[in-house]
Amino acid sequence: MLQLTWGWQPALYLFLGGMGAGAFIMAAVLYLLDSTKHRLVVCASMYAAFASLAIGLLLLLAELISPARGLMMWASFSHFTSWMTYGAWGAFLAMIVFIVSALLATKQVGNWLNEKWKWYTPENSLKLRRGLAWAGIVLGAFVAVYTGMLLMSAGGVPLWNTLLLPLLFTVSAFDTGVALVEIIAVLLHKKDPLAEKAAALMERIVIALVVIELLVIAVFLGSMFAGGSAAAESAGMLVSGGLAAPFWIMIIVLGLALPLVMALACMLLKKKDANKDARPMMVIGAAGALIGGCELRFLILAAGIHAAVVSETIMGLLL
Amino acid sequence: MQESVALSRRDFMKGGIAIGSCVIFGATAATLAAGKANADDADSLAGVQYGFLVDLNKCVGCENCVAACRKYNHLSEDTPNRRKVTKFTNSRQEDVYVSTSCMHCAEPSCERVCPSGAISKGNAGIVSTDKDRCIGCKYCFQACPYGVPHYNSVAMDKCDCCLDAGIVPGQTPYCVQNCKFGALRYGSMEELKEFARGNAVPIGTPNDPSCLVIGEGR
Repeated sequence: MLQLTWGWQPALYLFLGGMGAGAFIMAAVLYLLDSTKHRLVVCASMYAAFASLAIGLLLLLAELISPARGLMMWASFSHFTSWMTYGAWGAFLAMIVFIVSALLATKQVGNWLNEKWKWYTPENSLKLRRGLAWAGIVLGAFVAVYTGMLLMSAGGVPLWNTLLLPLLFTVSAFDTGVALVEIIAVLLHKKDPLAEKAAALMERIVIALVVIELLVIAVFLGSMFAGGSAAAESAGMLVSGGLAAPFWIMIIVLGLALPLVMALACMLLKKKDANKDARPMMVIGAAGALIGGCELRFLILAAGIHAAVVSETIMGLLL
Repeated sequence: MQESVALSRRDFMKGGIAIGSCVIFGATAATLAAGKANADDADSLAGVQYGFLVDLNKCVGCENCVAACRKYNHLSEDTPNRRKVTKFTNSRQEDVYVSTSCMHCAEPSCERVCPSGAISKGNAGIVSTDKDRCIGCKYCFQACPYGVPHYNSVAMDKCDCCLDAGIVPGQTPYCVQNCKFGALRYGSMEELKEFARGNAVPIGTPNDPSCLVIGEGR
């Protein structure tokens, strides 16, 4: 029996929201490290981050019974004991910061502002964009954590009711975000080649994140097997039950092992010969990370079954 | 003649006004009294938790409660049942039934997670939904340990102890009224515990549910 009350739209939102947040953070880090380089990659990544989050939120809206009422955010997200309220406003603010950052990173917009607005000198533009990058990093981190907090704070589903879930989703959000920026960088290679330092930084980030994610998944599933019957049943569905094939193939092999192997191969290749082209490996690894990251949200949602609280009590009252 | 007619008409008018005034005054007084009584009822119910008592020895699984709930609450066709009867089998291979609905928890997690504040806990501890505020995000289902909230094309739908069907808080809902076997009982948790004389246990631990069960043979 799978969890079907929340279908594919919330699952895709959890992936797109996390990926968008992670991609913005990676782009902002590239920008803050050296604002003179990777203009196109940073700009395109920020637009992609905005698009991911916006599409994700539209999917959520479409899943509501009353989407029009959901749009009236001041009324529909006004109850501050709910994590969804904080998440909705956080994602809304993040979307604004992401799109303004993307627009300011666009050459034509920068030139136009420089012409029309006296204050917008190159120095002030740098200050503003750095400020927005930091704001976007904070809001992006919040959105990444929130995608897991949303499930954790529901409380009725044992599989989700652990701090390890926001941790897992946050690591995966960063991981998929870096993958998206890598793919964008490869696509824009001719116009805006990735500096060696930046490529090496991303590879190292991928390796660290994959190792952390594997550890978190192991501890998460281990704690579920050691928990109550519903938690163990959910974990069993993933590891050896009906969801085992996509779990092992798409999440563990494609989503984690493949990016790890590709990132290690990239580093080895560059060590041997700095002029070798590592782009195909980067794309393969990144594509695997995106598939795995997306599938992770679908499977965690699908395996999120309720505990049979009433049945357990009644069974104890039978003769 | 005309004068007398005029007089009698005037008298008639006077009398009419007097009677009308009496009726209006009387009605107003009655309404005020009733309003006060309702307010008194509401006040006396503030802080008192009402709930259900289910007796496993008496429920036969007839689902009269489910049907009465649907009928008197005028549930639309696309609305899932608010009450459900679950069958269990005991060690003697006999069927045992239990009828459950919303537990009207002392600490309802549906109310906590609702982003629009559409769910509230009111008089007699009844947890109800404001369908004009609900956006239909279905977060309350994920939060409820008992998986109670369901959804139709309008909003979240669940038991409100027949509030919308005109039953005032503290009065017996239609499911209980229509149980022919005395398997369901409604009342304050104190009354229910007293009635069960120590033979009832809470239906679960999460959220402190307002539903007690009398086990087999008790």
